Amino acid sequence: MADKVDNEVAFILHTRPWRESSLIVEAFTRHRGRISLVARGARRPMSSLKSRLLAFQPLLLSWFGKGAVRTLHDSEWQGGRLWLKGEALMCGFYLNELLLKLLPAEDPHEVLFDHYAGALETLGAGSEPEPVLRRFELALLSELGYAHTLDRTEQGQPVDPGERYGFVPDRGVVSPGHGSTVLGKTLLDMMAGDFDDPCTLVECKQLMRGLINHYLQDRPLLTRQLLIELQGIEPMNL
Amino acid sequence: MTPSALANLIDALRVLPGVGPKSAARMAYHLLQRDRSGAARLAQAMGMALEKLRPCERCNSYSETPVCDLCASPKRDPRLLCVVEMPVDMNRMEETHAYPGLYFVLMGRLSPLDGLGPREIGLERLLKRARDGVTEEIILATNFTVEGEATAHYIGERLKAQGLKVSRIARGLPAGGELEHVDAMTVAQAYMDRRPA
Repeated sequence: MADKVDNEVAFILHTRPWRESSLIVEAFTRHRGRISLVARGARRPMSSLKSRLLAFQPLLLSWFGKGAVRTLHDSEWQGGRLWLKGEALMCGFYLNELLLKLLPAEDPHEVLFDHYAGALETLGAGSEPEPVLRRFELALLSELGYAHTLDRTEQGQPVDPGERYGFVPDRGVVSPGHGSTVLGKTLLDMMAGDFDDPCTLVECKQLMRGLINHYLQDRPLLTRQLLIELQGIEPMNL
Repeated sequence: MTPSALANLIDALRVLPGVGPKSAARMAYHLLQRDRSGAARLAQAMGMALEKLRPCERCNSYSETPVCDLCASPKRDPRLLCVVEMPVDMNRMEETHAYPGLYFVLMGRLSPLDGLGPREIGLERLLKRARDGVTEEIILATNFTVEGEATAHYIGERLKAQGLKVSRIARGLPAGGELEHVDAMTVAQAYMDRRPA
């Protein structure tokens, strides 16, 4: 029997052209995780569906069919959310790329979905993007089962905020000299989700970059590259 | 058995988007059986286009001369430069007869999730083009898709860093549009992009 799903809360992560006039839609749904849908005829000039398949907008998606041939037949905008602009938009792409590359398909992650919705909300409201990205990365790794203990070392010793430690993916906090070096305070701040200290932000970014690269098995993140290039712009001497 | 010239033709037609083996075979038989002169014209036009058309040095769109007619026209205002994604977008802008300036065609858009970065669009050429000393304002007319918005932001930041004035085309209700009949997302965008009256 074919599946029929109505009004599932979802965000579009990405769309790509398929055949002459259709789209493949990668969506992150609250109850069914990341799924692929076919939006038939969505690229025809008169189709109104395509304009309702915008990323970063809360949508209610309806589809039927199962397996690889699920057909999207409606998308309704839920309204209200702030639009992502400028750097926040680039950060939104980064979140989507993480989800597309790390989240297995067809695996429900309701907690992560709520984190994602919250992150978009915060980015849209114009908050400083870095803490938002770090909190999301931590939530993503923890949901995927890659959570690390941050307040204790591998040997079970409590982390001292004033000490420096090593950090190794899949092992966690170890004695200095292994993996990347990190201050105890950074680890404790990360656990508490407290990114007020600029030093914590810098160290956390390096740590998360290493961890995410590890789980991506060194597949490059294109959005990260774009963000770095954008942040590196300096006025030219003319 | 299919003669190799015919197999070649069928295979060649498959380079067109959306054309699979069946459509390609249908097209090949049609051209050979029913429209041989049309086929010759197609072959000739294809050869000519490939030989003659090159990117215009100024706007990056297709041109038979190093600088296209529009870029060379003394009637256009060289202080305005409109950035669009594709030549069709430029044609649409031209149909308005409202825009007096010049163009730059990116021949694409930034789409980080498809691996299309600044190098895949003609970004460096645009930055160089905008530094001609005559351009005063750059009008970003990329699409209002998330990729088009990202492209506009990225290009805008790079151009502003060069000290140029950058504007973005407006979005919102269509001409003659009535709130009652316009989709909610468009109304929301129109509200957010409102301007002092």
